[in-house]
Amino acid sequence: MPDGPVLLVEDDVSDFRLIQRAFAKIKPSIPTIRLTHGDEVVAYLAGDGPYENRSIHPIPCALLLDIKLPRRSGFEVLEWIRTQQSALKRLPIIMLTSSSHQVDVNKAYELGANSYLVKPSNNSELDQLVSTFRTYWLELNEGPNL
Amino acid sequence: MTEPALATILLVEDTPSDATLIRRAFEKTHVLNPIIWTRNGQEALGYLSGLGQYSDRTRYQLPALILLDLDLPEMIGFELLQWKRTQPYIRRIPVVVLTIDSATSAVNSAYDLGANSYLIKPGNPDEIMRVVKTIQEYWLGLNQPPKLVLRATPDAR
Repeated sequence: MPDGPVLLVEDDVSDFRLIQRAFAKIKPSIPTIRLTHGDEVVAYLAGDGPYENRSIHPIPCALLLDIKLPRRSGFEVLEWIRTQQSALKRLPIIMLTSSSHQVDVNKAYELGANSYLVKPSNNSELDQLVSTFRTYWLELNEGPNL
Repeated sequence: MTEPALATILLVEDTPSDATLIRRAFEKTHVLNPIIWTRNGQEALGYLSGLGQYSDRTRYQLPALILLDLDLPEMIGFELLQWKRTQPYIRRIPVVVLTIDSATSAVNSAYDLGANSYLIKPGNPDEIMRVVKTIQEYWLGLNQPPKLVLRATPDAR
């Protein structure tokens, strides 16, 4: 298992609760951190302001990123991360969004998303998604040095 | 002409015995997607660019997923990654590195050059089977693939 929490970027409270519930069913548990808007993600990853202390706000091992976010959209966050000069630019970014529009999917890949997942409409599918996410990205995949 | 239901997987692997194991594992996992095997980076580039025998796109579809070994003759995997990210449409295709090299520097370089994921190629058939099953579940099941050729309307061709 990689070090670091999974960063969940989701502004919708009810969607977040459902995702969090799906994560809570996973054993052994995976630490998650919730952020709600694009500027917050950039501040967290840059270690700015309230996020300066890395022992409290560790670098994540993966980012689950929604597209429609207040302040800075998921696409803008994605672009910001991929254009960093530091190792941060390698952070695995998995889009998790309700949009299955082909334009959004294509744009995400063009901007360097590692993968694109569509939020399922029911809870059991969401549990399955989170479980498959865990198996693939946290167990099988070899993560970069961040 | 409608698109075939099953997306093509491009396997770039120079070791024939590994290629056979991987293809067999896909068969056993009941993956019916066509798997195109290219032995080196040049051949993979030819396939992706539609050169020579690969110009027939009805027969040689652009892949929905690329499984890439890094240690390849002629053109190493890193060079293929570098080339791929400059190509319109093709740059969207997810690349999963599948290699025996677990060195941190190789992993980091692959991500820097735009690899979507990095998996270690196991040495024994049972383990390869497990990896292939997970690739199938994730990349052919859960993941939303990019669209490579845009058409005006579904019935336009």
